[in-house]
Amino acid sequence: MKGTQLGEFEELILLIVGVLYPQAYGLNIRLEIQSQTGRTVALGAIHSALSRLEEKGFLKSKLAEETHERGGRRKRLFTITAAGKAAMVKNHEMRNNLFNKIPNLAWESLDYAG
Amino acid sequence: MQDNQQQQNPPKFADRFLKWFCRNELHEEIIGDLHELWLIEIQDLPRWKGTIVYLKHIILFLRPYAFKKRQNSNYIMYRSYIKFALRNMNKHRGSTGLNILSLSTGIACFIFIFLYLKTELSYDRFHSDADRIHRVVIDFVDETGNRLPDATTPPALAPALKRDFPEVESSVRLFPNWGAKYLFGTKNGQKYNEEGVIRVDSTFFDVFTFSVIHGNSSTSLNNPTDMVITRSAAIKYFGKVDVLGEQITHFRSEDRTYQITAVIEDVPKESHFDFDFLIKLNFDDIDQNWGWYNYYTYIKLRPNANILEMEPKLQPFFEGYAEEAEYYNQIYSQPLTDIHLKSHLKWELSTNGDINNIYIFAGLAIFILIISCLNYLNLTVAEGVKRFREVGVRKVFGAHKLSLVAQFITETVILTLLSIIIGGFLAEILFHYLGNLIGLEISLLQVSNLSLLGFIGLSVLTMGVLAGLYPALHLSSFETALAIKGLKNRGGKSIVGLRKSLLVIQFAISAFMIFGTIAVYKQLQHMRNIDKGFSTEHVLTFENARAVTQQQALKNELSKLPSVTSVGASDGIMGKLNWTLGIGYPTQLTMNYMVTDPTYLETMGFEFIAGRNFSTTRKADTIGYNMIVNETALKELGFTLDDVGVSKPILEDNDSIYHGTIIGVVKDFHFTDYRLEIKPFAFYYRVQPLDYLSVKINSKNIRQDLSEIEAVWSQFANGAPAEYFFLEQTYADLIVQENRMAQILMYLTILAFFIAFIGMVAIANITMKDQRKEIAIRKVLGASVIGVMNMITWKFLTLVLIANAIAVPLAYFAAQSWLEGFVYRTDIKLYLFVIAIGSTLIVAWSIVGYQSFKTAISNPVKSLRQD
Repeated sequence: MKGTQLGEFEELILLIVGVLYPQAYGLNIRLEIQSQTGRTVALGAIHSALSRLEEKGFLKSKLAEETHERGGRRKRLFTITAAGKAAMVKNHEMRNNLFNKIPNLAWESLDYAG
Repeated sequence: MQDNQQQQNPPKFADRFLKWFCRNELHEEIIGDLHELWLIEIQDLPRWKGTIVYLKHIILFLRPYAFKKRQNSNYIMYRSYIKFALRNMNKHRGSTGLNILSLSTGIACFIFIFLYLKTELSYDRFHSDADRIHRVVIDFVDETGNRLPDATTPPALAPALKRDFPEVESSVRLFPNWGAKYLFGTKNGQKYNEEGVIRVDSTFFDVFTFSVIHGNSSTSLNNPTDMVITRSAAIKYFGKVDVLGEQITHFRSEDRTYQITAVIEDVPKESHFDFDFLIKLNFDDIDQNWGWYNYYTYIKLRPNANILEMEPKLQPFFEGYAEEAEYYNQIYSQPLTDIHLKSHLKWELSTNGDINNIYIFAGLAIFILIISCLNYLNLTVAEGVKRFREVGVRKVFGAHKLSLVAQFITETVILTLLSIIIGGFLAEILFHYLGNLIGLEISLLQVSNLSLLGFIGLSVLTMGVLAGLYPALHLSSFETALAIKGLKNRGGKSIVGLRKSLLVIQFAISAFMIFGTIAVYKQLQHMRNIDKGFSTEHVLTFENARAVTQQQALKNELSKLPSVTSVGASDGIMGKLNWTLGIGYPTQLTMNYMVTDPTYLETMGFEFIAGRNFSTTRKADTIGYNMIVNETALKELGFTLDDVGVSKPILEDNDSIYHGTIIGVVKDFHFTDYRLEIKPFAFYYRVQPLDYLSVKINSKNIRQDLSEIEAVWSQFANGAPAEYFFLEQTYADLIVQENRMAQILMYLTILAFFIAFIGMVAIANITMKDQRKEIAIRKVLGASVIGVMNMITWKFLTLVLIANAIAVPLAYFAAQSWLEGFVYRTDIKLYLFVIAIGSTLIVAWSIVGYQSFKTAISNPVKSLRQD
């Protein structure tokens, strides 16, 4: 089913949302991605990915309490759902599985001089 | 909503923009995040920069998920415009198809020509400060005032220009290979014969800009053993690009090894000279030599210098150095960027384009676009007439005039956009197939062309909207009641008039182009058939005959082959390479010449009209000014046929007068550009090895002949490869420009005619439908099929005749003025008129005739019963 597939960027967002629990919202996800991976991502891209993930049911969100930091505007805080976790685990396992199946020979034949 | 510090607020207009497009339920969190981002990252930037960054972030929110779900009436209205437009297009599939077909064909032609012209016009502009670079050339002028335009200059010119003119920032000389091939190779690698070798001064990169991949261009040609090569040459010899310090050897009697000091990108296609290797000019005593004309001189002016002020000083400067006999020669400069299109001198570094062709093609591009837009207009108007009722009903239901116009414009935009897309694809296909023809590799998909594509798209779209505006305004302007009654005839009068005049314009353009194309073709044919005065057929020329030490023995052996008629040696190639000298008494003229052996004249089949060929047994033939000349030379030297064989004074030099004998006279022959008049030419005979060996073969099995000839060659050549070409090709190259033009013209004419054809089909079709009832009534009253057909056909044929009456005289004058550029030109005969007029008439007649026949034989009852 289409909805259960995780794109590379989506997976990254999910992971970051997990890392930032319970304070994950658009801007600090962007900052975290920048500091963890060095990638600069447009805020718009993050917001659209978040809303896509929420639509797929991998994330749920609620509006936080009002604060004064940002002109009284509320943040939308994201947390991972059970379905989100399942999808992440599946991705993780598949990758580990495949990695472990690479024969040692493949590594040995690498020509490091080249 | 307000921050305390005024300066730190993000730009308000950006926020408003976000609020305008963003969904309300998302707006709060997004604007919050953005403001926080502003605080963290952006507010410390300079204000303008911060605004841009902030705006960029907002623009990146322009994604479907963030958009408001539009529910307001405007949106519904737009949707209904589009829906009705699509329904309407679907309903009239036939005419929509024709419309898109003709419009996209027109657009494809336009894009094709536009990009072709853009490439032609961008020649040599890749050099930085290209507008400060000029080429200095010297035309040969003799005492009689005959001018021989020539791109080459003496080697002393460039250094003297730099020395004497403070305006000149740097100057450089180019010495190309002059037809020679250089046998290059690496120590252990393969050897190749190279032609793209230019010897240049170390200032080459001060004047010209080529992008350097490895090495330092400013110091790369300081030593005589330095060599600069292009990327593809590096890959060819070494299989990699970083080849600094590697060596390439020039194999010849005394091998010479060069060190690679820089690698540059391949020379762009838009350059008027091409090369793979640069070597430092390293000949002795050239800096003072004002006598040899075989170097190209380029100068780069200082930023504030003006070439116009420098130009009048050039001639006095030149006369200060040149020998007295050369005072007549004219020195002048050409802007670098003009060379490709405007310079047509002898010995250009490559075949140049022609600015006139640029004008012609630009005109054609506009013509074709006009034809297809007219078609569009015509079809839209014609189709629109059928929609009176729709317009009426819309009005009854309260449609404003403006919304009716919007409806029609929407249809136009959709149709135009479709046509642009299809046209773009068609153009890409054209580039793919015609790239060879125009000698360029262009693609719309190149990055530099993408913005251009946008520009073309926009202008075509504008044109499409304008074309749609007329019918839109026209149709929406009728009284509601009249419109519902379907009153087409009263209101349709002006439309029919418009329709007719548009058809006339289309066919006028078609007739014009047909006429022009035939004229160009005829001229091409004429040039192909010009009697060259000798025969290039089955003559193959070895280019490296000097590599053979025993040339005479080789000649003897070759002539013994049964397939070889004769073998001759020369130091030039007919149609490609010859030399010049000043000769004549009492007035000097510029004489083209070649040194040959007696059999060369036989091999080339020159026709003697007086005197005799050189003789191997007469010593006198091989010395001094004893020569064989062509008719023009005989005349210009002031001799008659009676002077042949008599020793005459022929040259005055340093107060002594030299005598020479005209041994023989040959019929005039073409040895250079067909556009030019035949110039004086002389042959001298010297017993010495010469560069080129021409072999005339006679048999039918050329492949076998070639292998025999090559076998003989390799006996003598001591390992040098046999390099030869067929002389016919050289002459074909001389008319490559005209050939190319004729072919492009032909394709474009076919397309233009095709578009006009579509227009005619569509209009005839509509007329037929309009007159369906009239025809039916006429038939009921007893009209014959022929009579009905004639009635309709004549209407159209009159239009086409009017079109021809306008176009053909114009085309005649255009063709005449084009032909004036040729000395040997074809004349425009009556049948050209007949073909241009006849073909348009026949096409119109067959389209209209067929359709009127179909209408005329249909059952009148069916037509009358409708409505």
